[in-house]
Amino acid sequence: MSGQGALAGLKVIDLSQRFSHYCGKLFADMGADVILVEKPGSGCALRAEAPYIGDRADPEFGIPFFYLNTSKRGVTLDLTHRDGRELFRALACEADLVIEDGVPGALTALGLGYDELATLRSSLVMTSLTPFGQSGPYAQYAADDLTLLAMGGFLNMMGYPDAAPTQAFGNQASAMGNMFAAVGSMLAVLGAQTSGEGQHVDISIQECVVMALENAAQFYDLEKRVRTRFAGSQRQAGTGIFECADGSVYIFAGGMAAIRFWGNLVQWMRDEQVPSYETLDRPEWSDMAFLNSDRAKDAFSEMFSVVAKGKTKEALYREAQRRRVPLCPVSTLADVAHNRQLAYRRFFTSVPHQPSGRDILMPGAPFQMSGTPSRVARPAPTLGEHNLDVYAALCISPEQLQSLRNAGVI
Amino acid sequence: MSNMPLAGIRVTDFTWIGAGSYTTKLLADFGADVIKIESATRMDSLRSTAPFKDGLAGVNRSGYFADRNTSKRSVTLNLKHPEAPDIARALIAKSDVVANNFTPGTLEKFGLGYRDVARFKPDIVYIAMSMQGSSGPDSKYVGFGLTIAALTGLQYLSGQPDRVPAGTGTNYPDHVPNPCHGAFAVLAAIYHRRKTGEGQLIDLAQTEPTIALLGPAVVDYTANGRVAERCGNDHGSAAPRGAYPCSGTNRWIAISIHTDEQWRALDQLLQITEVQTASRNWLDRTLRLEHRRELDALIGARTRTWDARELMRTLQAKGIPAGVVQNAKDLIEDDAQLAHRRHWIALEHTEMGRTLYNAPPIRLSRTPAELSRPAPLLGEHTEEVCLDLLGMTRARFDVLKAGGVFE
Repeated sequence: MSGQGALAGLKVIDLSQRFSHYCGKLFADMGADVILVEKPGSGCALRAEAPYIGDRADPEFGIPFFYLNTSKRGVTLDLTHRDGRELFRALACEADLVIEDGVPGALTALGLGYDELATLRSSLVMTSLTPFGQSGPYAQYAADDLTLLAMGGFLNMMGYPDAAPTQAFGNQASAMGNMFAAVGSMLAVLGAQTSGEGQHVDISIQECVVMALENAAQFYDLEKRVRTRFAGSQRQAGTGIFECADGSVYIFAGGMAAIRFWGNLVQWMRDEQVPSYETLDRPEWSDMAFLNSDRAKDAFSEMFSVVAKGKTKEALYREAQRRRVPLCPVSTLADVAHNRQLAYRRFFTSVPHQPSGRDILMPGAPFQMSGTPSRVARPAPTLGEHNLDVYAALCISPEQLQSLRNAGVI
Repeated sequence: MSNMPLAGIRVTDFTWIGAGSYTTKLLADFGADVIKIESATRMDSLRSTAPFKDGLAGVNRSGYFADRNTSKRSVTLNLKHPEAPDIARALIAKSDVVANNFTPGTLEKFGLGYRDVARFKPDIVYIAMSMQGSSGPDSKYVGFGLTIAALTGLQYLSGQPDRVPAGTGTNYPDHVPNPCHGAFAVLAAIYHRRKTGEGQLIDLAQTEPTIALLGPAVVDYTANGRVAERCGNDHGSAAPRGAYPCSGTNRWIAISIHTDEQWRALDQLLQITEVQTASRNWLDRTLRLEHRRELDALIGARTRTWDARELMRTLQAKGIPAGVVQNAKDLIEDDAQLAHRRHWIALEHTEMGRTLYNAPPIRLSRTPAELSRPAPLLGEHTEEVCLDLLGMTRARFDVLKAGGVFE
């Protein structure tokens, strides 16, 4: 089995149009045969998303598409066409998993919903990723990443207390939906592996966002306190962002989880000859009520600023970690791309982009597996790149293929 | 035997705090027998982290801990006791998965690292979730979700361009990216093991899943040399887009206009375009993008007299993407969709009474998740695991207990 991924042999049909491509990428990089099905002509909507490689606004140059569809094969197929639906059923008959992000009910309206496909193949798993889930009062609500962060309760916790809430960068709501969709799909695939019975996996992005609230739901349930946002100030004294010579650093030294590192921090303050560092040894610094007070935050801020001032984030990072103080640089993506630990782990991987002839560096496996490494097996498909291979395997003759092409089905 | 997807899978779970505990919870809620190894001498610090039932601290009263440890059993084992590693090995011998999120080298000191375990249990699926991976120049560094988010670039990129980076205000990598990637890898490894009988080591660095989610922006740097910057709530092609004030204290609505039709409908409903601005053709997306701050002010002036929920319903009726900026109270008490999906589960806990838990946000039609029990009390299942699972005699158990092994 050497060289094969953990999911080698697993067949996945990926109908992602807009926001569920990462789920299929996780399967594809893990060795599953994932076939991305796109609309003939324009391809899936994600192809039109900026930025583009070399800033060339062309559906074969879109960076989100190129990144989120690695290791997949690609075919074109018009599901609104009768022959297209027939072909899709033939594909589904051999598949273990179908991933889709259509409006709830859209596939059923085409006669391709889970119930119908399950009669063709009882072991099939179908995963539907939508903003609010397949049914319920908000199921048909219009949404984008920002409104979903809002509805999931996460947006309220992000940003500055004196301003409007501010989103997390990078479509994190859909990212969360994709991650739970991947886990849910894998659970159902494992269930089918032993029982032979598939099922429908219904993922709501809003509900996935709720999982990011840390302890906010429990704070309300148990103490009737509603958490909100605090950016620009410390979370509790000793934990927060501090400016330095070339940017900022994040230190997490205050609070119950970090209390075992506090002594290291005090020693650092002492070695830096910070005025009145010795007050940090007082017992009040292990009392959460005190740590939450402005007095404590101001005192900490004044002292730590003496340490941070004039030093680079890199220098502070190395010195803090040498002393076992939990502090990290607030990295830009340029810093991330040059991070020595990621380089050591060969985290970034080079993927050829045929249309430009360039090799593009991108994040590789998000975890290392000793027996069956996850890896980018091939670049994202160009539109319809694998039509011939995939449809030939369904015993479609070249003549039939040509007539389907002429009819605009593929 | 249950028909749950992970029925028959046993996990020896050394995880603690955030990322690790949430990973194994996903396994436990879908049928795995997850046995959490704790020690009163070095307790999971979440047990002493707020919120607490009625605001009263206690090792069995933290809601933060409880929500991350449903459906698990708890065994206390002081690994520093000479007899303890053998008990851990006996448990691992009866397990399919071992999980930990310690600094590299911690479990190795007790002979419980992957190589040690693979010697007596070659088909084990072993996941180690340290901060930066099991080896390398920075592998021993210490951190938490918030500092990890800083290291990944997410903190820098989230917030207003002219203010300090805001981040997510939470230990985000701990809550979703690392648990989901970890659980996915474990499940895939189980799939492979069922087919081949082979186990393996999964080495997850808690920085890498979050960076993977920032992939398109990373590639914009590696391919185009462009370093992404904070952009508030702005979007490359959607404007106006933002959170706008509504009536009440700290009440907001998120609105995102992606098409000219949506703009027309919004303008009609809120009467945004008045005589003094009508000279501009806001139907032109380019113009809306260029003047988005001006539009934000005009929209905010209209929304601030509206009730957020009523405005959401009104805008949604016209197909406009809009959502109330909900807080935890709203989600628990007023969200009809989460109620429809039965997201909040109340479980009866010996010390905490009836309290709320998140159901995993994964609806499986045939084998739904089952929160089989609330969070375990510290050491609640030590005796039952030792006697029933490990086949220890009562006499032996009592001797070990008196010797302090289970503290």
